[in-house]
Amino acid sequence: MPQLEQTSVFASLIFWSFVSFGLLFFLLRKYAFPPLLEILEEREKKIRGDIQGAENLKLEAQTIKQSLERELGAAHERAATIIQMAADESKRIQEKTIQETQARMKQLQKDAEQEIQASRNKLFGEIRGYTAALTISSTEKILRKVIGEGDRKRLADEAIEEALREIGRSKSA
Amino acid sequence: MENPLHHFELHPLVHLTLLGFDISINKAILAMWAGLAAVFILFMIVVRGGLSLVPGKIQSLGEISVDFIRDMVNEYIGADGMKFFPFIATLFFFILACNLVGLIPGSYTLTSQLAVTGAFAGAIFILTLIVGFARHGLHFLSILVPPGIPKVLIPLMVPIEIISQLARPISLSVRLFANMTAGHTVLGVLFALATATALWIGWMPFGFTILINGLEMFIAFIQAYIFTTLTCVYIGDVIKLH
Repeated sequence: MPQLEQTSVFASLIFWSFVSFGLLFFLLRKYAFPPLLEILEEREKKIRGDIQGAENLKLEAQTIKQSLERELGAAHERAATIIQMAADESKRIQEKTIQETQARMKQLQKDAEQEIQASRNKLFGEIRGYTAALTISSTEKILRKVIGEGDRKRLADEAIEEALREIGRSKSA
Repeated sequence: MENPLHHFELHPLVHLTLLGFDISINKAILAMWAGLAAVFILFMIVVRGGLSLVPGKIQSLGEISVDFIRDMVNEYIGADGMKFFPFIATLFFFILACNLVGLIPGSYTLTSQLAVTGAFAGAIFILTLIVGFARHGLHFLSILVPPGIPKVLIPLMVPIEIISQLARPISLSVRLFANMTAGHTVLGVLFALATATALWIGWMPFGFTILINGLEMFIAFIQAYIFTTLTCVYIGDVIKLH
């Protein structure tokens, strides 16, 4: 196996390997590794910062959410109170309106009854008047037919005599 | 048919010596340089003109690879892991580049050389010892005594733990070397079969070559990952002491 038999090349191989390794070590350490490590660390730092920022934003969002939930709860309570108050007020107004309406209805009923009573009285009066006039007229007509000329004359005479007697009684008195 | 291990042989292309040692440039070293240059150029393409918080495709690729190693370091080494990140990341890309560049026909896999994988594994072992003693002083030796064992077993456990610790660089180096060597040997055999036989039968080993090449790409990643992960585990062990 030449690698074990050619001992004359060992010194050369080992020497140049170490020299070349040293040179590569120097060059990479000076020019290649620092910027690459720096950019990796910078990116890691940025990612870590971004993650931290995201965590902070998440916490902030949670705080805002909790605050909003509290406010929403309070708003719900306020809304419930307002609705209750509105319902109470509505009920009160409704009852008041019913009472007023009932009172007005009673008043209107009373007025209507009074008006009806007055109209009835007036009507009765008119009917009485018409009835009396009709009765008198009918009586007159009946009497005119029933009493003849002779009776009318006799009744007239009797009336005159009565009148004369009356006059005479008043003169004597 | 050509010896399938023949392509692991190395021949000097440029003769160089340093303090009496032969440090000639050969095909393996050129392939390694090509791979490392590709790694550096790719990273420069990623980082040129600045990086943005919203990455493009190329930037994402660079970030994924770096992030992948950073996670590995943090997982196995812990809070102090980032101090070792440049070393671990360079180690990963070094091994990956060497593994991958060897898949190019005519190229060479540096990690198929036990001398190289052994040198790196030994260096990592020494590094763990330095980190352990620097961090814990002599208390670091307590790594040889697993927690919770009866005192009477300590004389037995300490040699076992020493062998276990010494076996780590051996297993680390042999694993990578063996995987790379085996993969390339299989590819070499299949390709040699494809070229040595007639076309009517040669298409079969050639098809397998393509399939095995895909598998080798996967193994190149896996072996780089295993080598790097175990390095992290060893460093993490000496930092945490059990």
